[in-house]
Amino acid sequence: MRAWPVSLRLAVLGAVVALSLLAAVRLGAVFMSISALMDAIGGRGDPTTITIIRELRLPRACQAALVGAALAMAGATFQALLRNPLAEPYILGVSSGAAVGAVFTVVTGFAARFVWSLPAAAFIGAVLSMLLVFRIAFSVGRTLDTRVLLLAGVVVSAFLIAVIWLVLTFADTESVRSAIFWMMGSHANASWHSVGILTICLIPSAIVLFALARPLNLLAIGEPTAAYLGTSVEGTKIVAFATASLLTAASVSVSGTIGFVGLVVPHTVRLIWGGDNRSLLPCSALLGAAFLVAADTLARSLAGANELPIGIVTALVGVPCFVWLLRRPWSGLAT
Amino acid sequence: MLLAIACARDQTTDHPTRESTKSAIELTDDAGNPVRLDHAAKRIVSLVPSATETLIAIGARNDLVGRTRYDTAADVAALPSVGGGVDASVESIVNLRPDLVVTWQSDARQVVRERLIALGVPVFVIKTEDTTDVFRGIASLGRLTARDSQATAVAIAVRSTLDSVRRATAGRPMPTVLYVGYEDPPMSAGPTTFIGQLISLAGGRSVITDSSQLWPNIAMEEIVRRDPDILIVPVGETTKNPLVALRERTGWRSLRAVRLGQVVSVPADLVNRPSPSIAQSARVLLSALHPELADSTRRPPDAKTAR
Repeated sequence: MRAWPVSLRLAVLGAVVALSLLAAVRLGAVFMSISALMDAIGGRGDPTTITIIRELRLPRACQAALVGAALAMAGATFQALLRNPLAEPYILGVSSGAAVGAVFTVVTGFAARFVWSLPAAAFIGAVLSMLLVFRIAFSVGRTLDTRVLLLAGVVVSAFLIAVIWLVLTFADTESVRSAIFWMMGSHANASWHSVGILTICLIPSAIVLFALARPLNLLAIGEPTAAYLGTSVEGTKIVAFATASLLTAASVSVSGTIGFVGLVVPHTVRLIWGGDNRSLLPCSALLGAAFLVAADTLARSLAGANELPIGIVTALVGVPCFVWLLRRPWSGLAT
Repeated sequence: MLLAIACARDQTTDHPTRESTKSAIELTDDAGNPVRLDHAAKRIVSLVPSATETLIAIGARNDLVGRTRYDTAADVAALPSVGGGVDASVESIVNLRPDLVVTWQSDARQVVRERLIALGVPVFVIKTEDTTDVFRGIASLGRLTARDSQATAVAIAVRSTLDSVRRATAGRPMPTVLYVGYEDPPMSAGPTTFIGQLISLAGGRSVITDSSQLWPNIAMEEIVRRDPDILIVPVGETTKNPLVALRERTGWRSLRAVRLGQVVSVPADLVNRPSPSIAQSARVLLSALHPELADSTRRPPDAKTAR
């Protein structure tokens, strides 16, 4: 398995994504036979079934796939840039900034009046918090020190979380409930509209990150070495940080914070196929997509009409799988 | 035989006082959105338990096709559940082919509403804060199901019960009351909620009159300072005696009402629903606040006094 060429890895993972998408369309709170499903995809048969498949399950599965891919790529990029195995997409405070924006619209009542205001405010909050973190990091020293960046992200995040709880302390019970529902993360609000916006964000970002895969490999060895070998260290760092943060911001604004995917999917790919970013980034994207689609399918079909928060599923299913993988002899970590 | 059953059914569903169900209905919902139905609603999914109770009260039980996991009354337990009120499964709702979905005004995200409207399902948003909302809800749901006269009759009956409760307490001393919506952290009902209004109607003076919030959290110190005469505690069927629990808690146990045993439990399922059952709630609160007025024939079995 380790010796597989990159093209074979991508082909296998692509097939896994396709299978998970099929399962996502097939399974849900409402039972559906295979023939009804095929008819509905083709636009024939019962209009209610067509609506459920085409307007509810398909956009939701696509959104889960795009968010999973975005978070996994962002996580892999942050881990490479920060040279820290605990790095994940939310480590620089992007999710906290998004949550401030979301909570603001919920508490002021904008979210109830204009449905677009919540994702828009979440995205703006995410971008503003990102700019603040970079402003702090750049104001210390002459170059971008990733340790300072990491600290700036953690403290800004802590500050913003305090702001959220301050606002929620004085908010009414219903707003608190609505805000917490958002913060738990869900794909329930997926539509073709959100899928379109995510696709527009994801494709150029993915191209940029794939193009940076070689410089990121060199950065992993160490910044001075990378500079000797002809990498524009500062440029690579800034572009990669900005791209990964924007991917995270777009994901959080449509689906709330979904933990665990961005942390564990890149590690899983690394355990199986090693840390070369030229393979790691695309493989993480595909595995993240398949993983989140599967988790979302479980979340909305395990308990019938009572949907489980997706973060519970990603952790309950993901952690045992990851521990099993970690203990395999060929993981390179087990003794 | 089948024909006979069909005829019998027709007679019960087409109530003589029911208005034409064929003509289009236009109404503004409690969030100010215009809602248009091509005909009276016959397949309703209610995400608001109190609206479900209102629909049953106006005789529209057979028009309901779905319920939430919080609707556990025997009347509707057989209906398929669509999940929670604000985290309902849109897929399950759509699958029931509803011609009307009733949802919360208080859900600040309105995710379910937006998805359903995008899919062409009419959605009526209902407000559930005070008693005015209850009466407007009865009228609106009556209009949407073409049961205006039943709705009017229900509203008149509720109003007359509320009036008789108000008259019964006229001129009597008003004990000060704290409604203990939640013990830890302490939460009560604000003066503009239906519970706050029913307490004053039933001859009580809530110690929480200065809150702009509907369901304010109150510091324990503040409760001790205001020292209410009576505590009213809503309890579920399985909860143990609230007086015993409060006697063990710091803060609560030093209240005069707890020391003197002036703690009254009321059924949570009843008093928490802003539906026509507010009439019964008012009576329960009356016997809680003025036990001397509740004669043996009128006293509902629900109010358990722990004094």
